Amino acid sequence: MEDILQVEHVTKRFTGHTALDDVSLSVPTGKIYGLLGPNGAGKTTLIRIINHITAPDEGRVLFQGTPLTEKDVAHIGYLPEERGLYKKMKVGEQAMFFARLKGLKSSQAREELKKWFEKFQISDWWDKKVEELSKGMAQKVQFIVTVLHRPSLLIFDEPFSGFDPINAELLKREILELRDQGATVIFSTHNMDSVERLCDDITLINRSHNILSGNVARIREAHGKDRYRLAFDGNPQELLTNLGARLLSNKVEAIEGNQFKAELHVKPDVERREIIDIVNRTVDLISFDRALPSMNDIFLNTVAEYNRAHNISNELTPVLG
Amino acid sequence: MSNLGIIIGREFKGRVAKKSFIITTILMPLFMLLLMAAPALIAMMSSPKERVLAVVDESNIVLPALVSAHPENIVIMPVAEPLDSVMHSDKYDAVLAVPADVTKTASATLYQHESASMEFESQLSGIIEQAVRDQRLKAYDIENLDQILKNVETDVSLSTVRITDEGEEESTSSGLSFGIGIVCAFILYMFLLMYGQAVMTSIIEEKSNRVLELVVSSVRPTQLMLGKIIGVGLVAVVQVVIWTILMAAMSMFVLPMLVPDSVMAQVNMMNAGTLDATQASVDTGVLQAISFFGSVGSILTLFGWLLVFLVGGFLFYAAIFAAIGSSVDNIQDASQLTSFAILPIIVSLVLAMVVLQDPNTTMSFWLSVIPFTSPMIMLCRIPFGVPTWEILLSVVVLYLSFIFMAWLAGKIYRVGIFMYGKKPNIKDLIRWARYK
Repeated sequence: MEDILQVEHVTKRFTGHTALDDVSLSVPTGKIYGLLGPNGAGKTTLIRIINHITAPDEGRVLFQGTPLTEKDVAHIGYLPEERGLYKKMKVGEQAMFFARLKGLKSSQAREELKKWFEKFQISDWWDKKVEELSKGMAQKVQFIVTVLHRPSLLIFDEPFSGFDPINAELLKREILELRDQGATVIFSTHNMDSVERLCDDITLINRSHNILSGNVARIREAHGKDRYRLAFDGNPQELLTNLGARLLSNKVEAIEGNQFKAELHVKPDVERREIIDIVNRTVDLISFDRALPSMNDIFLNTVAEYNRAHNISNELTPVLG
Repeated sequence: MSNLGIIIGREFKGRVAKKSFIITTILMPLFMLLLMAAPALIAMMSSPKERVLAVVDESNIVLPALVSAHPENIVIMPVAEPLDSVMHSDKYDAVLAVPADVTKTASATLYQHESASMEFESQLSGIIEQAVRDQRLKAYDIENLDQILKNVETDVSLSTVRITDEGEEESTSSGLSFGIGIVCAFILYMFLLMYGQAVMTSIIEEKSNRVLELVVSSVRPTQLMLGKIIGVGLVAVVQVVIWTILMAAMSMFVLPMLVPDSVMAQVNMMNAGTLDATQASVDTGVLQAISFFGSVGSILTLFGWLLVFLVGGFLFYAAIFAAIGSSVDNIQDASQLTSFAILPIIVSLVLAMVVLQDPNTTMSFWLSVIPFTSPMIMLCRIPFGVPTWEILLSVVVLYLSFIFMAWLAGKIYRVGIFMYGKKPNIKDLIRWARYK
């Protein structure tokens, strides 16, 4: 299937700094796409460009194959990280307002809203003023407003912040359901756990550059190349000696009694078969697996590597939320 | 409906439905009217108290004058008894003691049981004054004195007629124009400040609520800004239109009821040019005011101009307020920047007072062209009569300036709404306006 969104060589400059420098990425239709990066990397600027809030200085954005125009925003739903509602306005009236801004007719908007309000069991909030709602309640309303017009592209910026675990789970389920119904979802988040669990593909932006893009499973595999995790019964010291120069690094921990678990990083030219042979000869193997790094590790390592390579490591340490 | 329309609608509905709007719009003029009519109403309803006045007149001058004047609500009781005995009698509400040499001293004493009433006192002192004056004149022993006095009595009325461009004569009164001019300038001053700041507060609220990001994902920032300005502006227009209707209704139905027929006849005579000012029972200024407010046409014209300059001035200033609002995070931070918008409005009002003294100087002309001052200055000059081309120039410059200001404000707004944290100054705003 064609990609719903293509960002091509987008550059955006502000006085003093470049927020995005030649960033390209493609979001496949019907997938959940993670947009990662340290604070200040340029994610929000990119999201604003995709939302047609600001325009890029160079490059272009294609939506469903054609350059993004203003009318496309009716097909995009955006839940910003910094979100709020009009405090003095009634919930229903406010939801209607946003729905109509997205191009829904009044009658249609009311019908859809009623459905969502029932689904979230908040029908009796319709005539309440927003200032009477708790933060979590307001978040629910915002979520409804974001998805109400059945956008084909949904953009969530840190969607789970401010939700309690129960509502976060509800939200996650809704997002997956929307994906199953055919919507594409872009996730901007610092929560690497949810990236691993939800995202099909990601792009990592650091210092205005796209420094890593691709399928999550493949990225983890690529970063997990030559790394193995094993559990065994035997002498760990003997095992490490036998593996000798094949190892780049290792980490061994005792489980109980004579049982240990270890993580091995071997040289690229060493074959897996060879490692397994040595292990089998030396100790009694309980389990052997490739050690896929967590997205968190990949994030940290990739950003650190990039910064080291560009001699900027001391200026800014990536901050994780 | 377009998104601009939806933004305008939200802004408009939210404000018009507010209790405060309904109160200020409907109740305020009624309240003011009531306040103006209150003294008359009270006087009408409460029948004045009748006082029994004992007069101890040693001069024999004042008593006959009092009796012949038979003032309203005063029962005059001449008494021959000495003052001391009358003073404490509760048969009388008041005792007037007139000394024998009243013609010389021109003084008398009024003893009262109750608190003084200004009306009562002025009634009495007027009669005594007249009596003493007559007595003093009589002392000169002039023949046909009464006749002479009658001939001498005058009440000058200066009717001013302005010769308009078309050569027509138009009866004007600078007093009336002055009054209307001041009221117009003041209304405009209030509207510009109130509604201009309403735009600013509304923008700041959106920004500090963080609802903005949600809105701009559906609406272009400049569209949002214009929507807010227009929405708030419409509220002001509705308010003025309601006031116009109330005024027109008053002029059609209430005024004719309040003004006695004899005065109305004089107004008609004045308008027809057949009024002999010396025969008029009311000051011509009052007649002109009645004539002005009694004509729906003149009220509509006045409010028409008020609307033209109100809308133009509001749009121009609202754009400035919008730019300021977009640049700050909260209302406290705005105070420094708002002076850029508030100051010219206050200065305009002060200048309006100066211009009203002499509405046709070169300074007045230029102040009516500069968009910062033109709405108020031109509006307060209009009642005095201003050449049409000057008004048109003023209007055109004002509306063109709004377009420029809106364009500039839009550029600042676009950047400003995403700026958080730092309290900006005017330099920042200029820098933002230069962003591509």
